[in-house]
Amino acid sequence: MSAGAVHRFRAMGCEVAVSGSFRISPAGVLERWEEAFSLFRPESELSRVNASEERVLRVSRLFSSTLEAALDVAAETDDLVDPTLCGRWPEVVISGRLLSRPPGLALDLNGVVKALAVDEAAAALDGPGFVSVGGDLAVRGPVDVALPAGGAVRVVAGGLATSGTASRGAHLVDPAKNLPSKSPWEQVTASGATCLAADVAAKAGFLLGDVGPEWLEARGIPGRFVALDGEIVENPAWNAATRVMQPCT
Amino acid sequence: MSGHSRIELARARARGAKRAIGVLTAVVFGVAFVGAKVHAPGHAKGTAKSLGAPSSFERAVRRSVAQGGQIAPAVQPPPVASSTS
Repeated sequence: MSAGAVHRFRAMGCEVAVSGSFRISPAGVLERWEEAFSLFRPESELSRVNASEERVLRVSRLFSSTLEAALDVAAETDDLVDPTLCGRWPEVVISGRLLSRPPGLALDLNGVVKALAVDEAAAALDGPGFVSVGGDLAVRGPVDVALPAGGAVRVVAGGLATSGTASRGAHLVDPAKNLPSKSPWEQVTASGATCLAADVAAKAGFLLGDVGPEWLEARGIPGRFVALDGEIVENPAWNAATRVMQPCT
Repeated sequence: MSGHSRIELARARARGAKRAIGVLTAVVFGVAFVGAKVHAPGHAKGTAKSLGAPSSFERAVRRSVAQGGQIAPAVQPPPVASSTS
């Protein structure tokens, strides 16, 4: 695939756009993640883990590292992005490739799987390019990206992700209430060192509601918030990074 | 003759007693050594382990997932869009 040309296809239930030269096919990478973690495939490892009555299970290396990442995210976001969706993530323990959790406690790794898949696919880029899955992307070299509600931004390094209710309704769960979240934002876009970091930041910014911009700012994460009434709020980190400097006259 | 043999017997008993005391001392020392190593908190039983913090917390501190990326003003028509999926 030549750099510059954008190749589009569907994977992981989303529109995928990739550009650049890859050492490993991004479609193959995404299929491997979907095969392991899709909740719509009864034979996926995640479906089999959730169906198991055993307290302790031996899981694949991919499953183990993904769950570790999900638990890290839950700790980092103070339970906001929780792989159990009910605040019980501290009961889940992964040690090497052994998973221990109360039988019947289902895991949902959607909070990290897509972003990790994007990061892995982008790591196979040989040169400049990008991988975007459902609008969450990771880049190698600068890429300009259109934003929700108009406008664009140049992603110089890392990833960019958007979370919200625009396309699927209230699908993000507020673990504190165990209910679909009610946020003053329709969509939150965040820039992260990786697609995973961007995705986690966007989800947390959305779920935190009014204090989302402040939470991202405290961590030096650029965030852009589209309110339900269409108003666009940029936190200072986003504003400073995207301000066009006027040349001196 | 019998006096000589009594002296020899006494010496043999003394040697036996010394040996018994030596063995008993070694056994008492060994039991105390192992007991202290197993039960006394000041004695290391193996490699040092950190106290307290759950491993998930340590991982979170070690590899913070909340790190901002680099963005700048756009300069070209964007080939891709960020949106909710």
